[in-house]
Amino acid sequence: MGDSTMTAADSGVQIQHGDHIDTIESVDLVFRAQRKLSFTYGAVFFAVTLAIPALSVWWKSWYAVQIWGGFTANYLFVSLLYYVFLWGMAWTYSKQADKLDERLGEMADVITATAAAKGSETE
Amino acid sequence: MNTIAIILVIGLIVFTIALSIFSRRFTRTTADFYLAGRKVGSFSNASAISGDYLSAASFLGVAGAVYASGLDGVWYAAGFAGGFMVVVLFIASALRRFGEYTVADFAFGRFGSNRIRLITVLAVLLTSLFYMAPQMFGAGTTWQVLVGKGFFGMTPYASGVVVVAGIIAFYVAVGGMKGTTLNQIFQFWWLMFAMIMVVVFAFGSGFNYPSALAEASKTPIVNTKSLTIAELTTPDAATGKTLYDSAATIMTTAEMATVDEAIAAAAGDEKVKIAVALPSKNKLHELRDMLFAEPGHRYNAFDQFSMVLALVLGTAGLPHILNRYYTNPSGAAARRSTFWVLVFIGTFYILAPIAGLAGISIIRDYLAGGGTITAANVHGLLVKPDQIMPMMAEILGGQWLLGIVSAGAFAAMFSTVGGLLIASASAVGHDVYEKYINPNASEAKRVLVGKISVLSFAALALGIGLAIPKFGLDQAYPALIAMMVTWAFSVGASAFVPMLLTGIWWKGTTERGATAGIAVGLFSAIAIIFLNIFQQLGIVGKEGILGFFGALTFPVLFTFPLGLLTIIIVSKIDGQLPKNVDEIWMRIHGTAHERHEKQHGLDKVGSMFAKSK
Repeated sequence: MGDSTMTAADSGVQIQHGDHIDTIESVDLVFRAQRKLSFTYGAVFFAVTLAIPALSVWWKSWYAVQIWGGFTANYLFVSLLYYVFLWGMAWTYSKQADKLDERLGEMADVITATAAAKGSETE
Repeated sequence: MNTIAIILVIGLIVFTIALSIFSRRFTRTTADFYLAGRKVGSFSNASAISGDYLSAASFLGVAGAVYASGLDGVWYAAGFAGGFMVVVLFIASALRRFGEYTVADFAFGRFGSNRIRLITVLAVLLTSLFYMAPQMFGAGTTWQVLVGKGFFGMTPYASGVVVVAGIIAFYVAVGGMKGTTLNQIFQFWWLMFAMIMVVVFAFGSGFNYPSALAEASKTPIVNTKSLTIAELTTPDAATGKTLYDSAATIMTTAEMATVDEAIAAAAGDEKVKIAVALPSKNKLHELRDMLFAEPGHRYNAFDQFSMVLALVLGTAGLPHILNRYYTNPSGAAARRSTFWVLVFIGTFYILAPIAGLAGISIIRDYLAGGGTITAANVHGLLVKPDQIMPMMAEILGGQWLLGIVSAGAFAAMFSTVGGLLIASASAVGHDVYEKYINPNASEAKRVLVGKISVLSFAALALGIGLAIPKFGLDQAYPALIAMMVTWAFSVGASAFVPMLLTGIWWKGTTERGATAGIAVGLFSAIAIIFLNIFQQLGIVGKEGILGFFGALTFPVLFTFPLGLLTIIIVSKIDGQLPKNVDEIWMRIHGTAHERHEKQHGLDKVGSMFAKSK
């Protein structure tokens, strides 16, 4: 990695960068929260994306009825509205993921501080 | 001779080379050469990723596909854009957090074996070659339209391929990733400018989107094809009718008289080709006419789903795009970059289908008014739809607009092939040479090997570009550029995406599982693509199991789940996780490194033009 502050414990229990430590517990916490966020958005994305060909196959009002000039609902969605959907999803996902990173980072630091405090008490 | 247009293209080429020479002084280390020092900001990186991504397929191919196929062509644009959602949701930040240089590095770091690194390198090279082929084809066809002449005894097509391959090889070898990044940023904005100009000129000439769409959908789509006399006059075994008979149902008496004259002039040579217009079939709703605004011109129900999946999953399997995520300074920056990419390319992809639709009436009306164009045409339509952008530009804005569009087409090819050359060079130079052949090589020698790799792959791309017309692929597929790009997407989606998804999100993935998954996805996708090509060329029949698989336009609906299932089943049976799996997991999902960088302000974007120590 770019700077050489990374130290990995031989046991594989924690990784330290400067004052910041990842433990397997804190990383699992990050992983589960991130997975929930990513897969929820992923489910919505694939549901909408695959609904378009599905509707193109089975719903005549979607693919054959003109709703504005020559636009069918199918053509309008694929040529225009789909991008609005993608922009909205990418924006909200990025913002939520950033917030999640921040929250989990703070929690990881608390876990680290608590563990360090316990360690010094024991000494 | 299109003098002004050629001067504009030469201007672009000179500027491109100048940028590379300028950035050369800032490329000292392999991190500079392959990753631009990991200091590319979100907006710049988004512009560069967009330039990297928007290839000849997007600039020439999407408009061409819409022009030829209507709604089924519009899907290319939507699918190309949708693919970035998969990247941002599942891959971008994890890949950047893991660090390293390449996808093969990720595979090695995650699973810890040389075997998986090497098969990933093979998959990177094959996917890149599949993606280079349409760029080279685009180079040849654009040169045909723009210059119309060859040099040193070569055809115009071959001359275009040679020029583009030579220039890209030079500027990538000289400028490395920093030079390529700078070029891609510039090339993307030139592309966007060119696309906006064409659409503005189209609206300026009286084009009205909803009305034009209604007009184009009044009568069924007409296919254009260049057929040999043998193909035109041989009766179909089932119906007893010839394609000549079908053409006669579409073309006017005067147009058919031209066909008859061409047949007579051939004097019995049945290999002579004649352009004809043919009726189209609705492959999705067989009882309906094939109208422009409805789906079904290219794809039946099965292919509608396969195509969508190929495009949205394929983006996450393109090595030159994935490599760019390592140039972000952090995981959050990687996400931000992707959002901006979606804004940029989304805007571009909204415009490209407008250009394709506008082209129908613009070309038809121009020809009907007695105008002439250099591109082959029949029944008021271009025989090669991929030529719609330059042809429309010439009609709407003369040589200036043709020059802007042609420079845009070359910019699209330069930026994408540049990214592919960097990806291929890093696969060979970084993943093979530095790891296995000479791990103790000096930085200067590593960079030199990278440059030699770039030149070698450029030579390979040149060979592929020259071979395409020799095998008749340009005649076997309508809108070949967009088609070939989806093949590359299919290979990438089948080989890499199952490994990346399981490697990032399932701790239980084993090395054997991932290796088997890559191999199965990669080779099954390539096998089906070649079966499809052979079927189109008439080498493989339409019967039996080979006929079934050969009929699959996009293999992803089979090969992606096949690769994924292989990984899951083999991993479950194997159960041999890496000994340091927890440590690996913390590298992928841990945030200590980013928190540390943030605390000390190290996550800020520096200058790409700082000299490495």
